[in-house]
Amino acid sequence: MSSKMIVLMSSDGQSFEVEEAVAIQSQTIAHMVEDDCVADGIPLANVESKILVKVIEYCKKYHVDEANPISEEDLNKWDEKFMDLEQSTIFELILAANYLNIKSLFDLTCQTVADMIKGKTPEEIRSTFNIENDFTPEEEEAVRKENQWAFE
Amino acid sequence: MGANISGGSPEFDRNDDVYSRKLRLVDLPENCVALIMTRLDPPEICRLARLNRMFRRASSADFIWESKLPANYRVIAHKVFDEITLTKLIKKDLYAKLSQPNLFDDGTKQELWIDKNTGRLCLSISSKALRITGIDDRRYWSHIPTDESRFQSAAYVQQIWWFEVGGEFEIQFPSGTYSLFFRIQLGKTSKRLGRRICNSEHIHGWDIKPVRFQLATSDNQQAVSLCYLNNNPGSWSHYHVGDFKVTNPDVSTGIKFSMTQIDCTHTKGGLCIDSVLILPKECAKEVIGSQ
Repeated sequence: MSSKMIVLMSSDGQSFEVEEAVAIQSQTIAHMVEDDCVADGIPLANVESKILVKVIEYCKKYHVDEANPISEEDLNKWDEKFMDLEQSTIFELILAANYLNIKSLFDLTCQTVADMIKGKTPEEIRSTFNIENDFTPEEEEAVRKENQWAFE
Repeated sequence: MGANISGGSPEFDRNDDVYSRKLRLVDLPENCVALIMTRLDPPEICRLARLNRMFRRASSADFIWESKLPANYRVIAHKVFDEITLTKLIKKDLYAKLSQPNLFDDGTKQELWIDKNTGRLCLSISSKALRITGIDDRRYWSHIPTDESRFQSAAYVQQIWWFEVGGEFEIQFPSGTYSLFFRIQLGKTSKRLGRRICNSEHIHGWDIKPVRFQLATSDNQQAVSLCYLNNNPGSWSHYHVGDFKVTNPDVSTGIKFSMTQIDCTHTKGGLCIDSVLILPKECAKEVIGSQ
């Protein structure tokens, strides 16, 4: 049985041929397939090739069926390796998963960032993520007061 | 990157002669940041909110706090806040307010709050809201003022044959398992010249026969335990009566509880009762540790 292939085009002009069954894990792509406008390939204006490669890698791994069974434990281990990425790549993946509407990838990427935040002091969070303090002294005092309840 | 906190300038990454700016956490759309925050505990969310303006805004997203509040939070909030207050509050502020103890607005001395880390419901029922046999007889019982009780008052029994303290409570408990405790102390403590003094003169009778602690729910869950009261005079203890499980948050669960020692061959006394606590089983240890 030959599987139907579709072509995904990244924002920087690269084309990727992917099995339709794998690609429709993206709700965005699934809707386009339903609306039958994929004949000339699907342009993804918001996704660079470097990121699209990772997204396709993820979707291929998660296209699980009887021919391709995999245990949850193995998937978790794979997820960990998959997410061993530079910060900026993780954020690009979040945006791509959001745009392409791939819930499991979006959950995985957001959870990864949440895990990077957990247990860190505010100073550590600032330096890990390069966050600039743009509060005025008055705002800083106000925001401290309004969040005080969580630390009492 | 090191410890460069000024961090305002973007980093550039040479990639095939095209300079592309590296994406940072602060570059993500606010709703994505809010979705990341949903996966953190309330204290962590509040810690993030203090970092910059975007995080502050993102942390106020209603959907974050709706996921942290108990599923039936509207019902619970109505017990302690009026409609006008409720409609004015954003969900984050409602969570903040509920995480502080709030007195029930029906005049009874009972408080509820949600554990700030988990959003689970906690309750405290004052001695004044309990049914104490003989409470009006000053030979046996008295209400003593104390700042060691969140209700500023505890019930003290000097001496009695028929010791019976009970109560009941009904609310739409959010689903989960709860533990019920009596908070009591042997002896009567007071402050004199800034020092805490314990009066043990009336303590007697608790080592002769055990006290019977009991609870029963409206759906027939029961727990009984028999205990000799032997904690150190002057220190508050939480006696665990038992646990009960709630699976349906859409109906009220009633709970009856009691502490009795009615063997009239001996008197007992010198005991202070502060309150009854109903806590989620998972956070009980932590909450008690902080009391």
